[in-house]
Amino acid sequence: MSISTQLVKKLVQIPIFGGLTVAEAAEFFEVAVEDSLARGATLFREGDDGDSLVVILEGEVQITRKTVELSRLSKHNVLGEMSLVSEGEVRSATATAITDVKLLRIPSKRVQKMIKGNNVAALKVVVNLAQVMSKRLAAISDRFAAAGGGATTGKKREELADFGRILTTWQF
Amino acid sequence: MTSADSAHTYFTKAARIMDVGERIETLLMTPTRELRVQVSIELDNGEIRTFPGYRCQHDNARGPMKGGLRYHPDVSSEEIHGLASLMTWKTAVVNLPFGGAKGGIAVDPGTLSLKELERLTRKFVDQMHEVIGPTRDIPGPDVNTNPQVMAWVMDQYSKYHGHSPAVVTGKPVELYGSRGRDSATARGLLVVCRQILQDVGLPMKGMRFAVQGFGNVGSHVARLFHDAGGVLVAVSDVNGGITNPRGIDVPGLFEHVRRNGTVKGFGGGEACDSNAVLVADCDVLVPSAMGGVIDKHLAKDVRARIVLEGANAPCTPEADAVFEERGVLVVPDILANAGGVTVSYFEWVQNLQHVTWDEERVNTELERIMSEAYEKVGQISRSRKLPLRTSAYVLAIGRVGKATVLRGI
Repeated sequence: MSISTQLVKKLVQIPIFGGLTVAEAAEFFEVAVEDSLARGATLFREGDDGDSLVVILEGEVQITRKTVELSRLSKHNVLGEMSLVSEGEVRSATATAITDVKLLRIPSKRVQKMIKGNNVAALKVVVNLAQVMSKRLAAISDRFAAAGGGATTGKKREELADFGRILTTWQF
Repeated sequence: MTSADSAHTYFTKAARIMDVGERIETLLMTPTRELRVQVSIELDNGEIRTFPGYRCQHDNARGPMKGGLRYHPDVSSEEIHGLASLMTWKTAVVNLPFGGAKGGIAVDPGTLSLKELERLTRKFVDQMHEVIGPTRDIPGPDVNTNPQVMAWVMDQYSKYHGHSPAVVTGKPVELYGSRGRDSATARGLLVVCRQILQDVGLPMKGMRFAVQGFGNVGSHVARLFHDAGGVLVAVSDVNGGITNPRGIDVPGLFEHVRRNGTVKGFGGGEACDSNAVLVADCDVLVPSAMGGVIDKHLAKDVRARIVLEGANAPCTPEADAVFEERGVLVVPDILANAGGVTVSYFEWVQNLQHVTWDEERVNTELERIMSEAYEKVGQISRSRKLPLRTSAYVLAIGRVGKATVLRGI
């Protein structure tokens, strides 16, 4: 499928497609399939096979796990990025359209093939994906530490009090 | 590099030496509140002009925030943020019960008539009166603002909140201003100069000094240092300078400036340019004009033994490193020129108490505060073997930090 240059320029602003030239992006999105969902339709369910990366073009999608809402994603958000790098990954949550939704589906098999063929665009996307993931991991670790789960000490950090102790070592 | 950037460099250096940690650093650096407003006025010819106005309130752990209002085309939110943090450290070094703030309007006031300037100032107050106040944030004069502008600020604020002279400092003496405000920065420099000379064993009498800048700070430095027995060997303003190794006739120079509006052309010495003053052969150099005038190259040629920073950030951080290596003592801006904000504090105190101090009391109190600040910074410098600048930042971070810890976040 060929998509408009205007859309390509929007897409390269999404972090995992960052750094792609317009030509590379056009090549990468060649394998994309445009799709639409009516309000209320399910995009995928928790436990389904993760077979594609999805970019929302219009509308809003609700992400739930065991009926608990985790988040809402809208225009230019990306879902299912893990399917690009891990074969046989199942969907970890359910995605439901809460408005009419237009989206772009990129089959992971095609992307994996591009990676094996050393396609620059696909490799750039994977590097971006690694960066996005490592940031998320760091954020989760931070939250874990803040919640009192400091992995090394097993004790709550008291940064303000520590700072107070540092100050007592100086004479003011 | 702007003065705000270099302040950030020095802050970070001191914070790392104290090992306060990244999160505390972020806590101390991040402003409490940043306000950006539209200041629209009708010009005298009926045209409408809109200028962005800013007020950054950096930290209030130690008290109401304090900092100037500047009117300059280069004013931006980044610059205002940096300068606001500089005020937090400066008020802490001299132990005033204030936090730090800064504000301004991105405008070239030279293009406005007096009436337009008044409308602009009043409109700005209309836009920010809810966040300033005698117990919140007290503006003062800065680049291109003067006692008249401060009088308008007081008047406009008082229309909303009732009679409030303590909302702003640097007001005219006839309208709740403090005596001794004009020469306050220079007098603070004199106190610090006396003490550092004593530390290095040089007498004040016969001490040779050079001054760059002949404005609000430089002219008073020339007069006060001369009255205290110093010998002025070089001086300049924006138009040019003069040197005389045997000493410039200071009363004669003032007479010349009164008649001609500049030090250029004064007969009692040889004409030179502004940079020549910075490398003049002297004991004490007082750069009191612009920021960034002494870079790493010029720093190698400076012949003074002591540099007193009358202006904000006259030395770049690289120049500062050269001075440290060469053993030239630098009394940093946040200590050296804090006399100005100190007398602003006295003005606020007088306004809150509805009293007027005579000039002698202002000067005595100023001397006490400046001398205590120098003493504290000197102690840290000696006990930790740190330059005066880093020691001043350590003291400031320590005081702001203690208040923050005691109050909780």
